[in-house]
Amino acid sequence: MPKPPHRRPTASSAIIGFIDRPALDRLLVPWVPDAQDRAFVLRCLLDEGPAHHRGSNYVLLSLLGQLLPDPVEVAPGPSQAVPMRLPPHLAGGDDAVFPLRLPTAILERLAPRDSPAFQAMIDALIDGPPQHALANVAMVCLLSALLEARRPE
Amino acid sequence: MSQLGPGLEQAFHVAAGELGMCSAAWLFVRELGKDGDALVAELRDVLGRSYPVLDAVATCWLEGRRAASIDVSAVSAACAGASQLLAIGLETSFLDALLPRLEGVAVWLLTQSAFSVDWDRVLANYQGRVRGVDLASFQRLAGRRSTLLVMTYGRRGELTFTSPEWLRVVGSDVRTQFRAVVGWDVLDAPMQVYPRWLVEAPCADFSQYVGAP
Repeated sequence: MPKPPHRRPTASSAIIGFIDRPALDRLLVPWVPDAQDRAFVLRCLLDEGPAHHRGSNYVLLSLLGQLLPDPVEVAPGPSQAVPMRLPPHLAGGDDAVFPLRLPTAILERLAPRDSPAFQAMIDALIDGPPQHALANVAMVCLLSALLEARRPE
Repeated sequence: MSQLGPGLEQAFHVAAGELGMCSAAWLFVRELGKDGDALVAELRDVLGRSYPVLDAVATCWLEGRRAASIDVSAVSAACAGASQLLAIGLETSFLDALLPRLEGVAVWLLTQSAFSVDWDRVLANYQGRVRGVDLASFQRLAGRRSTLLVMTYGRRGELTFTSPEWLRVVGSDVRTQFRAVVGWDVLDAPMQVYPRWLVEAPCADFSQYVGAP
């Protein structure tokens, strides 16, 4: 029986190569206006974790960004801080949160605000290593703006 | 016959621990250099293999450089916006120069070293301006406005050299708990001998690297 053709995995440099960091930086300005805060968030999204996560973060956020109106309006609303993953006995400082907050009003489309499901959704979105949690939160930010723009007057 | 005293190595060892290898090297080289380059050359021959930063600094002196290169502008810019700064690696000449540029920033020093250091004595020099924190608890300083500042020694391609405690600190967890991870090349010269006391670190581990490219 003939062997299936060997498929060489995509080189990580090819993944890193397609990331347009300045474009993602511009995309996040409405949610993270401070340039250095944004540099920190981008470092977590694009410089940490396996290459395929970095590439996926870039692709998904960029595509969502293409759906946004220009200029994008970020409506004020309730939000949740994203805590850093610290050992429990060292956590608790007010500053130990990432400079990007999870908008939570959008989740009310899926569950009532005071329900256990609502809290569990928040927990699912902000838990995990920063390259996951911050990508989740950034996507929810973009989706919130997108759905807000589609809301009938 | 050596013109250097018998206690020189012990004195340098203590100074390297409590001032930092580069700060101590410049102090010793400058003092010996007052009596001529021959003494600096002898110092390099006697202690250089054991203390590679001293070897590099002595070489700089013999090539005509007369002082450490301490430009705090780029470092203070890299630390802009920080409310807390944790220094990894003690280099007193450099930290002393930087502190006036860190007004309003709480400064901490990791009390870990390959040398035996009397940390109470070291920190007493700073009269509360710099406080100590150990490896077990430094993550309580993590935060969106906290910066890590790591002293490094020269660069070779994409690698730099730093003290081993950096390897105990750096990790994917810690890197994402600090706003910026700044490497500061305090040596600003190549090392010519095996860099004992130090470890290689990729420059890419730092979000900003301050030093010659």
